[in-house]
Formats: sequence, structure tokens, C-alpha cells
Amino acid sequence: MYLKGNFQDRGSAIRALRELQAGGFPAAALDVFSDEPLELPRGVLDRRSHMSLTVVTGAVTLCLLTIGFVYFTQYNYPLTTGGMPIFSFWATGVIFYELTMLGGIVTTLACFLWESGLLRRNRRIPVPVVAPGIISIRVHCREDQSDEAGGCLDRAGASDVGRMGELS
Amino acid sequence: MAAAPEIIPYSQVRHDLWRPLSGASRRYLAIVSLLSAITLWGLFCWGYQLYEGIGVAGIRRPVFWGFYIVNFVFWIGISHAGTLISAILRLTEAQWRKPVTRAAEAITVFALMIGGMFPIIHLGRAWIFYWLIPYPNSRLLWPNFRSPLLWDLTAISTYLTGSTIYLFLPLIPDVAQLAEHATGLRRKLYRFLSLGWTGSDREWHALERAMKLMAAMILAVAVSVHTVVAWDFSMAIAPMWHSTIFGPYFVVGAIFSGIAALLLVMSIIRKTMHFEKYLTPHHFDNLAKLLLLMSLLWLYFSFAENLTVWYGNEPKEMNVFGVRTRGTFSIYFWTMVFCNFVVPFVLLGVKRLRTIRTSTIAAIAVLIGMWLERYIIVVPTLAVTRLPAVSGGYSPTWVEISITIATFAVMALLYLLFSKLFPIVSVWEFEPHPAPED
Repeated sequence: MYLKGNFQDRGSAIRALRELQAGGFPAAALDVFSDEPLELPRGVLDRRSHMSLTVVTGAVTLCLLTIGFVYFTQYNYPLTTGGMPIFSFWATGVIFYELTMLGGIVTTLACFLWESGLLRRNRRIPVPVVAPGIISIRVHCREDQSDEAGGCLDRAGASDVGRMGELS
Repeated sequence: MAAAPEIIPYSQVRHDLWRPLSGASRRYLAIVSLLSAITLWGLFCWGYQLYEGIGVAGIRRPVFWGFYIVNFVFWIGISHAGTLISAILRLTEAQWRKPVTRAAEAITVFALMIGGMFPIIHLGRAWIFYWLIPYPNSRLLWPNFRSPLLWDLTAISTYLTGSTIYLFLPLIPDVAQLAEHATGLRRKLYRFLSLGWTGSDREWHALERAMKLMAAMILAVAVSVHTVVAWDFSMAIAPMWHSTIFGPYFVVGAIFSGIAALLLVMSIIRKTMHFEKYLTPHHFDNLAKLLLLMSLLWLYFSFAENLTVWYGNEPKEMNVFGVRTRGTFSIYFWTMVFCNFVVPFVLLGVKRLRTIRTSTIAAIAVLIGMWLERYIIVVPTLAVTRLPAVSGGYSPTWVEISITIATFAVMALLYLLFSKLFPIVSVWEFEPHPAPED
């Protein structure tokens, strides 16, 4: 089941998050909704990200694939060069560079879509409607935990604390 | 004592920035119609060139590069307005950037689309442009990866892809909000583009991380793109092209013209959309200072480039130098110096003269000057060749002039349509309570 509570200010939302985490609710069960980015202090709802590493990996991968492809195409046509090499890093370096960056850019987009959960969102999970300036916290918990979760939200000063029904 | 910054409530911000999206005034429709007509005329001219052949353009032996290549370099330069400026300001966390970035990023995408068309128009037989793309084909021939033409293809494709993503990502939260309020087709469009954005902290964190990474990468790509365009020239052993500083010289010129384009667009947006509260004199003042700085940098690079040629006194180089500064092309050369240095230096260098109006005038002058600069880089070198017997001139035909004018109309048209569909100032990034430095 899902519970939600609305907060007027950032401070009380952070208090609620701290209390919920101290009460044993993992970060994965908590979501904060707002109409602008909410800066949270370190230790509160830290979301792990592998975006930088994945982007570097994507960039290097496309770079290597490009080098392989260019190398292959340079030797693919049976050009007679009298034994001289026709594959030149200097002259094809620009292409390797650009495609390395393209690899990084495309991987960034893919990482954003993956980490934000936009393309793998379960449409049945309810999403609170957030009015401008309001911060809403959604808690995923078991039935027997709802009182404790609701208490944490109440004590931090939440309004409209209530259960959210799953969408069919 | 300085006046306290005006605090604009969030609801007011949203109302003001969304206002231009609804309805279309008669004046708007008239301008769109006029621009569409010019665009259609440009398309007709291109069609005529495709039908009749490239001979209808003024490019003749030995001047094989004319208006099309000038426009290509110019528009690629303009494209540096957005992404580069926006990325620098984003990475340095300059607060004043917030109302400026989207307007700038949109310029990049549209200018790149226009600039990228010119090599295809210039090809003449545009329908075989795909021969540049590497794919297994029956001729067993692959594109020559060592050719600067293919460097251009990869650089511009990468930059266009990156810039489009860079424009799109921060647009998502805004279109998600718009989707809640719009109706009909617009609602469908916004919902599709918002990708199901809910405003959760996971989404915000992923967006912020992605934007930081994108800003860093796009900077590297933007610099490389104009360097590659410069290398199209400097890799040729031609007088006044074969220069080691052409890369940075072009990059400086590109940023210079990019800032000018941004200033001009912001000035028009401010006036026509009544964004006086959001695009304040402070924003214009900052951009004007940047424009002045780039003007001085441009002067430095131009001086260094021309001085070394003059001091070297190599006959073939001096022939080109002569026609540029004292001969046929001198009118363009000195107009360029006047527009790119004298006007910005006087209007923006003196604090009392630096207003929104004078900044706009300086920006227009710089845009004219930078177009002329591209012209006098491209044409004189080809017109004054190493062999006197093959020297020749260049005069553009009505087809080239029409297509050139049409591209400006396309730019304006794309911008008008974009600003009617999406908020040109990012709503979610705008601070309802301005920071003291704003």
C-alpha cells in the first residue's frame, strides 16, 4: 500500500524523511514529489547513481567500435598501396573523437531514462498531484506499517496524510 | 543603496511565461505567413537549382565555394550561441543564466539544422548526399574517413544530436506541467514529450546529473565542431587558409557571433512577449560584457592572423592579403572591422552607453560583420589562386541570394513556432525569489 503526506516547506519534509528512515523504511520505499528540484542533505534519501561511470563506458565502447569499423573499412577495399599502411590515426582521429562524444551523449540519455525510472514506471502505482510549492512524500509500506509511517509524517507536520489507492 | 530584487510569486511566473503559448495575434499570423512565403520561395529556388543544375549558382572556376559555404560556416558559428554559452553558465552555476538558457539552446538546434543543410545544397546533386554515410554497398567502396568532409558529417551529427538532447532534457518538467493544463492536440503532444514525468526526487536527481554531464560533453563537442569547420580550410595548402590558428580563431568567431545572435533574439523576445520582468537589464548587461570580451578576443586573433601573413611577405599570401585589405574585397574587410570591433567597442565599452538598445544594435552589427568575415575568408583565397591565369571573380546569383535570405526566414519561423509551443524561458528553473546577485 501507499501513503502520502504533503509538506509546505523543505525543512519539515526532510524531518519526515529522516524519521521514516530511522523507523526502518528504506530509501527505495520513499519518494518525494515536487514541482522543482529539492536539495536534500547528505544522508537523507541518498540515491546511488552509476551515471558517470556508465557514460564513460558508453563513450569508450563507441570509440573502440569506431576504430574497429574504420580499420575494417580502410582494408576492406583491395587497394594497392605497395605495402604502405592506409590506416591513419592522425587523419581519422577527429572521427574517433566525435563518435566517442556521441557515445557519451547517447549513454547519458539512456542513463537518465533508466535512473529516473521514466520508461520503466509501473503505471498502477499512484502518483500524488503536487500543487506549486508543495512537497509530497509517498511511502510504500505494508498494511501493518501504515500507522507507523502515518505517525512519522504527522509528527513532521504533514497535511493531507492518507492512503493512496493502487490504480487498476 | 541598491533596490531589493522584486519577488515574483510562482503562480505569476507560470502565468507570465505560459501566456505567449495561448492564442495567436494577427501580427503573429502575418509574420508567420510572411516568413513561410519567403521559406517557400527559398525551397523553390533550391528546387530550381536541383532541376537546372548547380550552374544556376554563381560559383565558377576557380571560385568553387561561394555563398553556400559562407552560410554554412556562418550558421554553424551561430549555433555556438546556445549550447556552448548555456553549458558554460550551467557548469559555473551562474544564477543569471536561468532565463537565458532555453532561448540560447533553441538557437543552437535551429542554426545547426540550417547550417547542416548547406553542404547538401552546395553538392548540387543533393540526392546522393547519403554516399557520405558509411554503409555496406554494392560498390565495395566506403567513404574516405580521412576526408575533412566526413569529419564535418560526424562532428555536426554529434553536435546536433547532443544539442537536441540538451534542449529536450530540461524541457521535460515544463511540458509535464503544461500537459496538466493543455487540451486537445497540445495535451497529447505535451504528454508524449513529458515521458510520464511525475516530479519525483529520482527524476530530478537523474535530470540534474544528466544535465551536468551533458554540459561538460557538449562543451567539448561545440569546440571541436567549429575547429573541424576551420580545418576544412586550413588543411588545404591555400594562401591565408593554411594556418595553425584557424581552429581557435573560428571558435572565437563562432562564440562571438553566437552571443550576438542570443542578444538579438532575447531583445526581440523581451519586446514582443513582454518579458521585461524576466529578461532584465542585468541579463543584457552581462551578455553585452561577454560580447565585448569576445570582440576583443576576435580582434586579437584577426590581428595575429593578418600580421604573420604580412610580416612573412610570401608573394602568394600577400596577393590574397592585398585584395582583402586594399583591393576588391577591402570594402567588406573594413566594414567587418567596423562592425566587429568599432561598434561593440564604442557602444558596449562605455558603461553609460551600454543599454539594451545599444547592445541590440551592437549585436546586429556583429552578425553582419561575422557574415562578412566568413565571406572574405572563403572567396578571396579562391579568387586569387597561385596561377594568375586562372584567377577569377565571384558574384552570387539570385538563386544563392534567395536561398540565403530564406535561411534567415526559416530561422525566424522555427523560433516563432517553437516559442508558441514551448515556454521560451524555463519555468521550473526560474527562481520565484531572485537570488541577491540577480
